[in-house]
Amino acid sequence: MWNYIAKRLLLISVVIFGVTLVTFSAMYLAPGDPAEVIAFARYGQDLSFEQIEAVREAEGLDSPAHVQYLNWLGHVLHLDFGKSVINSDDILEEILRCLPATAELALASLLLSLAIAIPAGIVSALRQNTLLDSACVFTSLLGVSIPNFWLGLLLIWLFALKLHMLPSFGYGTLDNLVLPTLTLGTSMAGVTTRLTRSSMLEVLKQEYIVAARAKGLDERTILIRHALKNALLPVLTFSGMQLGYLLGGAVIVETIFSWPGLGMLLVDSIFARDFALVQGCVLFIAVLFSLSNLAVDILYAVLDPRIRYGKHD
Amino acid sequence: MNQKLKLITLTLMLLAVISASACIGGEEDGTAKGAGSEVSSQELTVGISTDVNNWYLDKFPDGDGRFVWSQIYETLVRLDPDLNIVPGLAESWETPDDGTTWIFHLREGVSFHDGTPFDADAVVFSYSTQSYVTQAVLRPIESVEALDNHTVKFVLAKPMPLPFYLTHVAWPVMSPSSVDAEGNFISPVGTGPFKFESRAKDQEIVVSRNEEYWGEKPELEKVTFKVIPEASTRVMALETGEVDMIIKVPEYDVSRLENEEGIEVHRKLTTFTDFLQFNCEKAPFSDKAVRQSVAYAVDTEMITSEVLEGIGEAANGRAYSPVMMYSNPDLETYSRDPERARALLSEAGWGDSDGDGIVEKDGEPLCVTLLVSNGVWASRHNPMAQAIQGELAEVGIDVEIKLLEGGAVTQLENSGDFDIILRTGHFVWGPYPKHFFVHHSASPFSHYRNATYDELVNAADMTADEEKQKELYYSLQDFIIEEVPAFYLVHEEKIVASNSCVKGYTITSEDPWLNLDGVYLENE
Repeated sequence: MWNYIAKRLLLISVVIFGVTLVTFSAMYLAPGDPAEVIAFARYGQDLSFEQIEAVREAEGLDSPAHVQYLNWLGHVLHLDFGKSVINSDDILEEILRCLPATAELALASLLLSLAIAIPAGIVSALRQNTLLDSACVFTSLLGVSIPNFWLGLLLIWLFALKLHMLPSFGYGTLDNLVLPTLTLGTSMAGVTTRLTRSSMLEVLKQEYIVAARAKGLDERTILIRHALKNALLPVLTFSGMQLGYLLGGAVIVETIFSWPGLGMLLVDSIFARDFALVQGCVLFIAVLFSLSNLAVDILYAVLDPRIRYGKHD
Repeated sequence: MNQKLKLITLTLMLLAVISASACIGGEEDGTAKGAGSEVSSQELTVGISTDVNNWYLDKFPDGDGRFVWSQIYETLVRLDPDLNIVPGLAESWETPDDGTTWIFHLREGVSFHDGTPFDADAVVFSYSTQSYVTQAVLRPIESVEALDNHTVKFVLAKPMPLPFYLTHVAWPVMSPSSVDAEGNFISPVGTGPFKFESRAKDQEIVVSRNEEYWGEKPELEKVTFKVIPEASTRVMALETGEVDMIIKVPEYDVSRLENEEGIEVHRKLTTFTDFLQFNCEKAPFSDKAVRQSVAYAVDTEMITSEVLEGIGEAANGRAYSPVMMYSNPDLETYSRDPERARALLSEAGWGDSDGDGIVEKDGEPLCVTLLVSNGVWASRHNPMAQAIQGELAEVGIDVEIKLLEGGAVTQLENSGDFDIILRTGHFVWGPYPKHFFVHHSASPFSHYRNATYDELVNAADMTADEEKQKELYYSLQDFIIEEVPAFYLVHEEKIVASNSCVKGYTITSEDPWLNLDGVYLENE
């Protein structure tokens, strides 16, 4: 197991290296002169050619691309993420400032989606081809199809504007968390419900379930002790991936609800062409994503005795 | 292993229950501020779209941050709501030599928020070489010198109407005590009617009344600026009462809000105008007749009334918004005339020989690209671009719209690799008439080269005599109508909406100035 984790960590570092390389290349190759963009952000209109060149030199943008990248990488290996090229904010501080908001929203949405999806998926599978099943399938399809952007605004309209129950935007209280969580959680629940349903149906067809029924075990024991455990494994994997994805910041939802998370930070930094900040954010998100996937795989081994990570994987 | 499974399942279920109950509980107990809750005495909450990106004069304050700057910091010269020049921190000024030297006489008895006296040294500090503006727009400043405690002398490299420039809210006077001994910024210290209290990044900025303010003290005790990037959320936050006032109301919400009880909509033309900037250096727009043809083909009245829902005013080619100083009210502008547009194209040698509706010349069809930047104006520019595309197709010009990131547009503009760019504003701060430089041969924008035009622009920028300025700027407006280095489409209208409990608000033409003079809350 420890060998496996060590191997995975090695692989993760290769993946993260690749991610930073791709991000750097994308930013480097994007149209527009980064020195001019930075100079404009600092000085506003009426730039002189000399000013743009001074920025180019000061920010090391005049050196070849691979030198710029290796410079950045060297600093990061010393845990120095650098400063924003636009307003000199410390990048690590900025990321850590945004992380709690993103983590809160991600966890709450994930839990809400599981709280909806697991019961709905199970009921749907057990009552296959009934009206209840169709209703669950239809609702989950709706959840998947409704764009977050529209759902978020609709929820604000309903709960804040019409019912005066909740704030329409902001961060800091439990009330503020409700609408963004509902927006993200319900759309995620749609996918997870369908996954739970199909996984459950798959398991219920297995021979060991038939055998358990033949032995005369009651349906509840069969469901909870035998079926659910196996049916939830793919759901667990998927949720882990979702969590990794959510920790990157739910950009649209964060923007709609003025939620000061990583998603907003990343988008702002992309628009401002703040290279250092974009690189820092992407690196951080890639690490979170990889580690959450690793955590899921480890949990897998804990939950399923058939899965053993060892010599042959 | 079963024990572990139970534990994990239980934990997961418990968390799910907690999270669900948090949601349900929230829905039961949550009451939005303003939804029936009492407004505190005189505390105004304003919804803005971006946070303050920086507080100090060494960098350009971007976006809505300037609305906050304009409460904390002040300028030597100010503008009233109609853009007339009025004294600010300077009571009077004069130029002994037609605009190369400017003497400002400062207001006495004014203090910064931390008690530091406002004097000539503070002005010298604010316009020293560390200030970003002296490295950009105010590059001609050669020296700033304190003649005595309350008199400052600016010496410029060339004559300039400096007081016009010094009205800009992004180049205000800051206290030398804003920085420590090493020159590192500590906190924003100005002389304005409100002083900085606190800030939660990307969430809110709080300012409180400056009890020592030299002018008329604000009625408001506290102003909280809430950062709400999404326009629709901003509008709903106003409707729920969570904020009392919002800026940058989207065009499509205006008529609805105007009919809504308890909401006041304030509208006023700004100095900004949307325009089609041609590349005058390469075909087809190197030919004046083709540029004029576009001017006759595009119906700016229709764009304003239909596309922008009546927000703004049709420009018909007028470069200067009517609120701008030196905007000529009697200027002869364009009006839509597709026949005339076709005739001009035909005179220039363009004709539709293959009957496909697109004109050609030497076998080449007239196909052009229209660049639209995906920046802050995109929501307005996208539908405008589509309307323009349709109207130009009617006279035989095929337009391809390209929506690009701002940096990409700038790169194409600098290299001259474009046909038309749809843009807004550009050097149209309040009274300073710098906008005409966009078509100057020394600028990288229109790629327009005309010696007569350049001379006119230089002369206008270098005169401090208002009569002479007026004459020169009138000539420049005529020049633009005739030569069309750009075709001006719509004069922008600024929209601010507030709850009816907000009284005494006068909207200003100046963006990004939020005028809170005389504003108070009428508590029910």
